[in-house]
Amino acid sequence: MNNILLSTLIFLPIIGSVLIFILPDAYKGSFKWLSVIIGVLNLLNATSLYGSFDRQVTEYQFIEHYEWIRLSLGNLGVISIDYLLGVDGINMPMVLLSAIVLLVGSVSSLTIPSRDKAYHALYLLLSGSVMGCFVALDFFLFFLFFEFMLLPMYFLIGIWGGERREYSAMKFFIYTLAGSVLILIVMIMLTLSTSDVFFSQELGGTVHTFDFRQLGDFRSYLDGALLNPTQEQSLLGIPARMFAFILLLIGFGIKLPTVPVHTWLPDAHVEAPTPISVVLAGVLLKVGGYGFIRIGYGFFPDVAFQFTYIIAGLGVVSIIYGALNALAQEDLKKMIAYSSISHMGFVFLGLASLTAEGVNGAIYQMFSHGILSSMLFLIAGVIYDRTHNRRIENFRGLAGKMPYFTVAVAAAFFGSLGLPGFTRLGFDGGYPRHRAFGGVFSVDNATNVFWEFLGKPKPSQ
Amino acid sequence: MYEQLQHILQSNRLILPELIFTGTFLVVVLLLAFSKSLDYERIHNIFNFLVISVLVSLSFVFWGFLSYYKTYFESGSVLYSGLLYLDTEAIYFKLLISVCSVIVLLHLWVVGYRVVGEFYAIFIAVILGLYLLTMTTNLLMMYIAVEFVSISSYILVAFNKGKLNAEAGIKYLLVGATSSAIMLYGISLLYGMTGTLDFASQQFATNLLLNPSWVVLAVVFMSIGGLLFKLSAAPFHIWTPDIYEATPTPIVSFLSIAPKAGSLLVLSRFLSNLTVDYQLIIGVVILVSITIGNLSALWQKNTKRLLGYSTIAHAGFILVGLLAINEDGMKSAIFYVSTYAVITMAAFLLVDLLALKTDSYELEELRGLGQVNPTLAVSATVIMIALVGLPPTVGFTGKLLIFSALYQGYEDTASGLMLFVLIFGLINTAISIFFYFKIPYFMLLKDGEGNQYFNMSISQRILLFILTGAIIFLFVYPSRLMEIINSL
Repeated sequence: MNNILLSTLIFLPIIGSVLIFILPDAYKGSFKWLSVIIGVLNLLNATSLYGSFDRQVTEYQFIEHYEWIRLSLGNLGVISIDYLLGVDGINMPMVLLSAIVLLVGSVSSLTIPSRDKAYHALYLLLSGSVMGCFVALDFFLFFLFFEFMLLPMYFLIGIWGGERREYSAMKFFIYTLAGSVLILIVMIMLTLSTSDVFFSQELGGTVHTFDFRQLGDFRSYLDGALLNPTQEQSLLGIPARMFAFILLLIGFGIKLPTVPVHTWLPDAHVEAPTPISVVLAGVLLKVGGYGFIRIGYGFFPDVAFQFTYIIAGLGVVSIIYGALNALAQEDLKKMIAYSSISHMGFVFLGLASLTAEGVNGAIYQMFSHGILSSMLFLIAGVIYDRTHNRRIENFRGLAGKMPYFTVAVAAAFFGSLGLPGFTRLGFDGGYPRHRAFGGVFSVDNATNVFWEFLGKPKPSQ
Repeated sequence: MYEQLQHILQSNRLILPELIFTGTFLVVVLLLAFSKSLDYERIHNIFNFLVISVLVSLSFVFWGFLSYYKTYFESGSVLYSGLLYLDTEAIYFKLLISVCSVIVLLHLWVVGYRVVGEFYAIFIAVILGLYLLTMTTNLLMMYIAVEFVSISSYILVAFNKGKLNAEAGIKYLLVGATSSAIMLYGISLLYGMTGTLDFASQQFATNLLLNPSWVVLAVVFMSIGGLLFKLSAAPFHIWTPDIYEATPTPIVSFLSIAPKAGSLLVLSRFLSNLTVDYQLIIGVVILVSITIGNLSALWQKNTKRLLGYSTIAHAGFILVGLLAINEDGMKSAIFYVSTYAVITMAAFLLVDLLALKTDSYELEELRGLGQVNPTLAVSATVIMIALVGLPPTVGFTGKLLIFSALYQGYEDTASGLMLFVLIFGLINTAISIFFYFKIPYFMLLKDGEGNQYFNMSISQRILLFILTGAIIFLFVYPSRLMEIINSL
């Protein structure tokens, strides 16, 4: 059954991007509205998908499947790459989240000061590839969108960013690219280790597939392949599957990001323009978490089992280290960036539990962090646009001047520290005690900022 | 006697396209001799048109010949008692070289280079040399073909009589002469060891086994010196950046593709006939080339020097296919070199179009150029991500294929070197983004003063569009090209 709903999610923004690119400058005023309209349409589409998503089914739904590339490589067999989209319980919330955050991003892009045309074309390109990354069920397609996201992001940070934008954009690019190269190595290993059972018989040769459904199935591993789970093979002295898993851990860990490969994030967040910070925190970090769940845990469950302590440890270190760093920040955006690192640590912690609740919690945490961090960055952006100042101490007494805004700030920060009634309460992973442990630090951060809001105004203000 | 004559006549028939091309060479030389007094512009256009049309028709001939050969010949045929060897791979590479030459000539014409008529004669000579190079299985013939190509390229490089060109020509000549001397020395030692010059023969293989393997390896390394020089792979790469900087861009574009393609084929033939384990040589050459190419490119301020170092790195990537030591490795190397040709030609055309605007090849001069010229900015980005090897460009497909073949080679042989090259090569990709992106970076991220909209002529647009489009099209639809390569 092929319906085109998921493709629309990807191609509507891309078509919009091309349209903006070819439209003459006379229509300059309409570009931002085009971008918003596409955001609204995508959100409607995602919501309807979410509504008709059958929660009882464990299979992928709304599948779209077309043959794309069939490369025959002699002895190596046939490499088969498909255009395969679909959603299940893991990526459905992510699709909905992206639709929401991207719409928020495009609305907050309305005030971009310069070069609207290029900005909105790139923004829509980014939206399309983010969606593609979440709905792709073919490793090649996933990787294509995963890499393709970097490009618009690089330009969006590098052109419209703050003072140190060029440095941050390049740092972001090189870090993420280094991560994706590691993922590429695993992609090659996985694909060459498996074969599509059905097509191999039909075509009379080995068909190497990138299909997620096949890669996750242990029966499709070739006999004697390096990654075959039933045969212990080693690579550079450690078991081959563990080697691949470590590569994935680093690759997606950079994207997530986890300590110690997180240093690109504060730079990128601080220098990026507000809407891009929103998208970066709200959606792009989730790609790392999603990819790690789908590929790391999906294809290497046997190794993930052995890595429980390491992943949980990385999670806890990220939570504490991120929170401690956030405490020390005086720049609001930088503080939010470090708190993002801290929050994403919970994702690893949830995953490490290897229980259904833990994974659910991780996904829920990603969703909630997507919403909350977007809101926090919006808040930072709102203040920065009006004052051109991001130092927290200078916000003293803003509650008196901006009462409604303060309510929103309160909601965002209290939500972010996990008070009841806000989304983060839903996180109920396998390690509640650790979570509580990290929560202490979140409380400190949030109250810190909020305290400044309620405090007395400085005489100068 | 009669049989030998028959054999020679038979051989003539199979290299008929080359003979026709030699005829063109003579026609061009004759025309040159009798047209000195004529108007420059007109005669230039006539030459350009003549050579392009001959090359286009030759491409069609090779295209037809390829399928003809596949149907009527079961394997390669030995010509002129073992001096030449013709098979489908040779025909494919000739086709590739012809197509590249056509595009290079179009580049020359589109950008408006003024070249003297002798250029075309020499250009034809280089191509003829490359045709010969693709058909060698004989060490002496290999040497002659390499020299044929080299000597003509020295002249091409030194053609414009500027000081820089002369300097570049001399540097090229010195490095080239040294490497071919080393090559000749290696060949003489190989002849001494085996008693035959035909490296495809059984005698060569068996006699090689009688010698200690480290001696053979040293000699083999010397013998492939000339080919590595043509590939601009380390340690014979030092000429590259200087020559690239000083020479007219279309010629550089040609020199960075066609000789590489030819050398790749001969190198793979030569290596696959060896009875020693040559992995170490190739592995080290790859690692050193990629490292030197990428790390030196990081500091470049001139677009042509940057591309020069990038070709050194790419020479390493091309050789990865040979390191894999399996059939797929060679196929993926052919795919890589074919697609790399498209990308490189696009890159050099782009650099030239940018230089038309800024009057120099300095990166700094590109400031803000892309902000007013979105078409150029988009093609620059596409071409550069193709050089890095990111999707959605064919540069990614090429890298995916060679590294897949290498991984397969690793699974078959479990050689640590292969795994190291695999990881090291891919990580280098991440480094390379830094310098490749300098071009879009300066064009888009830096603000320049007083940039005007830069009107490209329609022919420039079309050529750039075709090349950039091909980079994306081949990513989306690589099957046809792969089918052709598979059937070789």
